[in-house]
Amino acid sequence: MSPQTGARILLIDDEPAIVRAVRANLGSRGFRVDVAESGSEALDRVESHPDLILLDLGLPDLDGLDLIRTLRSRGRAPIIVLSARGAERDKVRALDLGADDYLTKPFGVEELLARIRVALRHTLRTGTDEPVFRARGLIVDVEHRRVTVDGEELHLTPTEYALLTALVRHADHVVTDAMLLQEVWGPEYGDEDHYLHVYVARLRKKLERDPQKPRYIATEPGIGYRLLTEEA
Amino acid sequence: MLEEMRRLAPLRGYAAALAAVALVSVVIGAIEARAHVANISMLYLLSVLAAATLVGRWPAIVASIASFLAFDWFFVEPFHTLRVADPNEWFALVVFLITAIVTSQLAADQRERAREAADRARDATLLFEVARVLGEPDLAIALASVAERVRQGLRVNGVVVELEEDGASQRTTAGDVAILAGAEIGSLAAWIPSPRSATGAGARWIRVMNPHGSNTSTTRDERVHAVPLQTGGRRIGTLAIIRASPEPRSADDRILASVATQLAGAIERSRLRQRATDAEVLRRADELKNALLGAVSHDLRTPLASIVASAGSLRQTDVRWTDAERESFLADIEHEARRLSRIVSNLLDLSRMESGTLHPERSWYDLAALIDDVVGRLRPLTEEHQLEVHVPEDLPPISLDYVEIDQVLSNLIENAARHTRPGTAITVSAAIEGGEAIVDVADDGPGVPSEALDRVFEPFFRGSSGGAPRGTGLGLAVARGLVEAHGGRISVRNRPEGGAVFRFTLPIEQPARPRTAAPAP
Repeated sequence: MSPQTGARILLIDDEPAIVRAVRANLGSRGFRVDVAESGSEALDRVESHPDLILLDLGLPDLDGLDLIRTLRSRGRAPIIVLSARGAERDKVRALDLGADDYLTKPFGVEELLARIRVALRHTLRTGTDEPVFRARGLIVDVEHRRVTVDGEELHLTPTEYALLTALVRHADHVVTDAMLLQEVWGPEYGDEDHYLHVYVARLRKKLERDPQKPRYIATEPGIGYRLLTEEA
Repeated sequence: MLEEMRRLAPLRGYAAALAAVALVSVVIGAIEARAHVANISMLYLLSVLAAATLVGRWPAIVASIASFLAFDWFFVEPFHTLRVADPNEWFALVVFLITAIVTSQLAADQRERAREAADRARDATLLFEVARVLGEPDLAIALASVAERVRQGLRVNGVVVELEEDGASQRTTAGDVAILAGAEIGSLAAWIPSPRSATGAGARWIRVMNPHGSNTSTTRDERVHAVPLQTGGRRIGTLAIIRASPEPRSADDRILASVATQLAGAIERSRLRQRATDAEVLRRADELKNALLGAVSHDLRTPLASIVASAGSLRQTDVRWTDAERESFLADIEHEARRLSRIVSNLLDLSRMESGTLHPERSWYDLAALIDDVVGRLRPLTEEHQLEVHVPEDLPPISLDYVEIDQVLSNLIENAARHTRPGTAITVSAAIEGGEAIVDVADDGPGVPSEALDRVFEPFFRGSSGGAPRGTGLGLAVARGLVEAHGGRISVRNRPEGGAVFRFTLPIEQPARPRTAAPAP
């Protein structure tokens, strides 16, 4: 918690009740919250280099996706997209454009805090491919190409292993279908997009003890998958 | 070439008649040179009859007179003059002429009757065909078939049916594209009424077409003959034929008028039908809106009332709530707010279904994984039930939209949890049967009353059994819409041992063979 205290968060949303709730909750936890109620205002505020951006996709004056492109061109601060259910396509596009995560409205405070924590933590770790990944009993040893769960070695096919390492590289972040395909099969992926989910399901079968309470790989319906390093 | 011949047809008739007379004269001359035959002039009757049956009335009369003159000139003494020496010969010649003319007219009458009968047969066939194709419910297809039938039936170069409605016109054509391109039907006001049918009720217009473009290599003299399409004295369009021959036969006028009448009737009927359909759609939309308002006022109010009451309680200053009480108010607020959110989601899905904007984004999924995910996510909702999952290991991948089928299964499980007592079992199972995947959600509740079995999937339908807390009556309607968008079916039945089984199916398509995967190391 300590390295995050004092982090500056830019909230871009025009809904007063949401702004009030988010400001109160984050403020009481030591974050400094800056609010922009429109896209143009956001473009001004972003000049002060916030540590993290919360962006409502349904802004009155600017298209949210365009705004993401602009924000990305101006800085690397993680962007968490806030949007309504039913707009899965927009969320996927936002993520593929460089947003780091998303929250579906209505969301609870715990969810919001968890996402912010993850996003801020990973700004510190971007780019570092640690040779051994450890999380709650899951160990992925990239150097020796060994995967163990609670000390038990798993026998993964090359595809399953590639999927797992792709998810590990983005640990705790949502990975869209397109990102997974790109990372596992490269830009030339063909028929595999039909089978991506089937491969992930097989990987999960080997990884998870209780498929109804997955410890490691969570499905984000309509969006992609997320490797969890903390208890959900 | 063909058109040229057709244009010269009348002149050719006379020429042929005269040629026949000349031929007979030569034959008679040859015979007379050997021996005298009595009444050899009767041979001329052959040429007259031929002219009458093959060419027409007037060429036959010309042939009769020509025969009379030729015989007198060549074979009646004195030769090579029209004078006649023997009065008996005079008598014979006059009788010959009368016989020739009368015979030729009888033959010509016969010929015309035969032609008329053929025309009538053709008209009847054409009208029957038109009536038949106008039975086609799609007006655009019907018009295209009629245009083509008329083109073939009348042997014309092009047919245009132009409909006018609200200032916009819409064309259906048959025939040569180049010819049709030059045919401007639209501004009928500039046309002149055809003098030939000016007396008829349905006035006809004729216009000589402009030569096609500048490269007039074909100097065809094409004409457009147009008949208005009218219903109730109002003009709704135009039927036009484009033909090369300048003078259409009166039979063509008749048939064109008949087709126009039939067409106008069919178009009017189709428009009335369309209007009735529009009205029905509006009526149903209205019904849905009313049902929606009913649902909104009732089902949204219940959670809202609970939220307002809990929040208001927490703000009371004269009561000291215990921590447990405060916690329970807050939990109620959150629980009811989430319920509202689910209702809104279902409303949204339903409106997308009604507006036809629902298009599953399919991909191949492991159905077992989907079921596990949904069951796991709905744990809080089914905590008080014994939820069991039976899914075989070897289910093939199914092509589906994950979010939508997730929603279907969620709605079914939620429905089961809501309508059964705590402690009872809910069983989710999947299987492959007859080329489709089957997912069953079975409960141990009171089942669905038999009179409601057909109606539970209707929007806003609410069962009346048990008095258990009810949802909006939207979840099952949404489930049905989503399953049907996938090409599957959804149904419910009661188990003999009690409880209801909701079942949905998803078609299994054969996935393309996966490439042997060569993932990055």
